[in-house]
Amino acid sequence: MNRGILSPWVTVRAQFLLAAFFVVAGIAKIVDPPGFAHEIHNYRLVPGGLVNAMALVLPWLEVVAGVALFFGVAVRTSARIIGVLLVVFIAALSVNLARKHPVDCGCFGTSTVQKTDAQRLTDMKWAIARDVGLLLLVAQILAASRRDVRR
Amino acid sequence: MDELQRRARGRGSAPAARFLPRAAAMLGAAVVCAVVSNALAGPERHLRWVGDYDSAPGRPAAARPGAPTPAPPAAQPSAGAAAAGSASTRAFPPHPEKPWVEISGDDVLALHERGDVPFLDARRTNVYRQGHIAGARPFSIWESDVDEKVKQFFAEGHDPSQPIVIYCSGGECEDSHMLATKLHMAGFDNALVYKDGYPDWQKRGLPVHTGDTP
Repeated sequence: MNRGILSPWVTVRAQFLLAAFFVVAGIAKIVDPPGFAHEIHNYRLVPGGLVNAMALVLPWLEVVAGVALFFGVAVRTSARIIGVLLVVFIAALSVNLARKHPVDCGCFGTSTVQKTDAQRLTDMKWAIARDVGLLLLVAQILAASRRDVRR
Repeated sequence: MDELQRRARGRGSAPAARFLPRAAAMLGAAVVCAVVSNALAGPERHLRWVGDYDSAPGRPAAARPGAPTPAPPAAQPSAGAAAAGSASTRAFPPHPEKPWVEISGDDVLALHERGDVPFLDARRTNVYRQGHIAGARPFSIWESDVDEKVKQFFAEGHDPSQPIVIYCSGGECEDSHMLATKLHMAGFDNALVYKDGYPDWQKRGLPVHTGDTP
């Protein structure tokens, strides 16, 4: 029995963790599309005409990929979609961090807590670190499932 | 064993060929869910599929699409107008060349004391309920009924050159500027944006209301 980082024991837990994270994050945005549209607009990266469509579809894509991952359906496809989303989130946060434009992450819907710009910039760094950690889970799932395919 | 290896090789031979249809199916499922949930959503949670958030500040009056002819000024001033004499004497002339002018908390207070100046709250309605400037109306730019509210505001016959105070949360908040642009396109030429927004009003200890009504 392989007890390494690619063992089924680790892979199953990585899948569940990633799935739970994305389903919860998706639902938090689904309950308030205008709030999420507002957050997307604040990033100043998406053309105004596309903001609403993105705010409506993106959370559902998170939920669909998360549920598929949870039930082990199309695991590699789900993990890749989540990986692409994480890369996009990291890039969006990094661009705004680089230009010192504080934004609320919007990762779990709209925040009603009033924050200072310094607090927002700090939170953005933590959000990037968290997304990088989740990206490592994606890498683990993809590597383990590739090994299963080859075995 | 050979069969397993063949199948494994087969499965790994064209990953893109499997990934793209499956990813497209998941995206399709997400779009269907989004269409259904948006169709079932109430006015506070409904979104138009195409946003119009790129309205350029300073758009010339000639470029206003379908802007109706402004109605004549409202005939009867509100009761608070009598207090105008005690308020600041600073004038706020119309500025048709630009959608908004930013003003300070002192100016906002003076206009509030006049009593005849409409106050519009551009924040989300659920935030408005928690507390807003006394007399302000909810006009969230992010909710799908904002155009209806602008039309209704227009139909009330407000003087297009009359000051209108718009506010949101101050700081980086742009909602009030976006609402001012929308009003400018509808023909209103004197939108005044409260630069520091509701947090400043609260900090000054000025009158606030909670709930759905102004």
